Amino acid sequence: MPLTTPWRSRALTAALLAAVLTTSTACGDDAPGTGAGGSIKIGLLASLSGTYQAVGTEIRDGFQLYLDTHDGKLGGRQVDLIVADEGNGAQTAVPAATKLLKQDRVSALTGIVGGGSVAGVTPVLNETKVPLVGSNGRPELKDVSRVWHTSYLSDEPGEAIAQHVRDNVKGSVYAIGPDYQGGWDELRGFTDAFGKIGGKLANADGKTTFTPFPATTNFLPYFARIKASGAAAVYTFYAGSAAVDFVKQYAQSEIKDVPLYAAGFLTEGGVLNAQGEAARDIYSVLNYSPDLDNAENRAFVAAWKAKHDGSPTTYALASYDAAAVLDRAIGAAGSNPTPEAINTAIGQLGQIASPRGTWQFSTTTHSPVQKWYLRQVRQDGRALSNTVVGDLATVGR
Amino acid sequence: MIAVAAGTNRIDPYLIPALDGVAYGLLVFVAASGLVFCFGVANILNLAHGLLYAIGGYTAAALLDGGWVSLALALAVGVLAAAATGVLLAGLLTPVATGNHLSQALLTFGVALAGGSLLVAGFGPDNPQVQVPAALEGSVMVAGHRYAAYRLVFIVVAAVLAAALYLVVRRTRAGMLVRAAVDDPEMVACLGVSPARIRAGVLAAAGALAGAAGVLGAPIIGPGTGTADTVLLLSLVVVVLGGLGSMAGTLLAALAIGEIQTLGVALLPSAAPFLLFAAMAAVLAVRARGLAGRWRAA
Repeated sequence: MPLTTPWRSRALTAALLAAVLTTSTACGDDAPGTGAGGSIKIGLLASLSGTYQAVGTEIRDGFQLYLDTHDGKLGGRQVDLIVADEGNGAQTAVPAATKLLKQDRVSALTGIVGGGSVAGVTPVLNETKVPLVGSNGRPELKDVSRVWHTSYLSDEPGEAIAQHVRDNVKGSVYAIGPDYQGGWDELRGFTDAFGKIGGKLANADGKTTFTPFPATTNFLPYFARIKASGAAAVYTFYAGSAAVDFVKQYAQSEIKDVPLYAAGFLTEGGVLNAQGEAARDIYSVLNYSPDLDNAENRAFVAAWKAKHDGSPTTYALASYDAAAVLDRAIGAAGSNPTPEAINTAIGQLGQIASPRGTWQFSTTTHSPVQKWYLRQVRQDGRALSNTVVGDLATVGR
Repeated sequence: MIAVAAGTNRIDPYLIPALDGVAYGLLVFVAASGLVFCFGVANILNLAHGLLYAIGGYTAAALLDGGWVSLALALAVGVLAAAATGVLLAGLLTPVATGNHLSQALLTFGVALAGGSLLVAGFGPDNPQVQVPAALEGSVMVAGHRYAAYRLVFIVVAAVLAAALYLVVRRTRAGMLVRAAVDDPEMVACLGVSPARIRAGVLAAAGALAGAAGVLGAPIIGPGTGTADTVLLLSLVVVVLGGLGSMAGTLLAALAIGEIQTLGVALLPSAAPFLLFAAMAAVLAVRARGLAGRWRAA
């Protein structure tokens, strides 16, 4: 028997495998419950495995830090925190959330890294009438009656930095980002606001250049086009490994001297370590920086550094704030803090003191009305760090 | 390639992407040639091939400290670790009948998933930083354009690797046995050479190549959670485009992929998402054997 099969069948096998590897699917549906007593059950859902493990871990640690620094209590009640793994998206998040809501009957849910996971979990929240105080992913939602976010909307970073770029860049700006919902939102936030105040894009057709995601690992051909466009600055948004590739290649490319402005995730957390020197001097916009000078932040950063290596990220901060929101809401919900009562109380919180500065929930989007900061990657002791160099707009609606 | 130098102003903006296409293509060649050997020679469909590259990449991230000694060390350790993993795969594959691609695919894909999780458990979920020797850290001017020094040197090194590979396959006894095993496996068995030994040898060699590509290519396709998938996908596209017949076909396909991914994207950015697969479909439609003929034509 010959060892080799016909070439055609192997070519077909390879082609099929290539096709399988390029596609993936996600979906989700289903439904939640409650619990009370002298203690209170809170469910935390975050990616503790998979692509977003780093972000998920920060979210878990941020929430835990608040509990550790507040005697393990929220609203005067001992917290029974039940942590579940969100995995890579809705497919794993929905079953995990369903267990938290229906089996463990938590009084409130927090965390959730992916926007797709939030969209998948929302129907279960509405069925079980439990509030979500999310700390990261925030998709377009029709009904936000039980959904609150301590993070931001994806188009807000770009909106907040547009005026600064308009004022400080003499010439046109090249907009480039990843080709998926998050990338579209982030870049649209910038280009809409930038266009409104008379800014001009350097892109050939006046539209943002979107790179295939996550397939793009080599940005050099795009840099050649940016060079040819004569742009005076670049605005971008990438996160995770794409952010590392983009920044490292940018620093060695022929546009290395063109100022780079970005949504803060480009240089936030673990990716900054991987980028190293290549990230130096990059400007970014974010709702938080560990060097903000206020009492809440000093306490937060000190408590974080006592337990972890490095500085806290915006992900950890958002989760810390989610715990602070639940703390006040449970306290205000009276002697019987049902999920409904907690949800009502969240809507009446008003101003919330936070390490990022004071913020409040928007009454329409249920996400923060907050100040954004301009940061630059600079030397901080032995490591590079995002340093606040100015205040930008307060955004939220 | 550098000698092409500054052409007219129309060509000028595309010079660097074209040069980078060569660097990228040669990396894909070194990374994919292992898979092509496995598939074409030993008839083993090794879906853990991307894992072998990732092992090299993580080794580079762990050992490189900006010095030349660490680069040599990382190269040695990465090649050995990936080759050892290749031999382990050959051992695991022993009970699976040769040519049974479904069983091979399931087994090696399982190994790839488990191995990928082990790498993340060992090195963490973040993309580790890869520190190349300081002398190669910066950029150099090529025909009036700035280009990463490391990638320029990589082109030379990868070209040497490709040439060495060609000589080994053409001129050494091991290479002749491997080629003989493709042409007439029964006769090779009659000569007293165990096909199982050839299989283990080919997988070890494939691992060594992928490991070397992983270490040297770490600054280009860096280690991370998605690295194994990316490399496996590119390697499979090389198989489709270049066929299993010849090294020349593999090299041609890899360089084509490199240019499509860089020059093609620079010329037609709006078509970037499907350029590579459109090229793959076109080649399959026009010429199902791939860009070049059979192995003996090497």
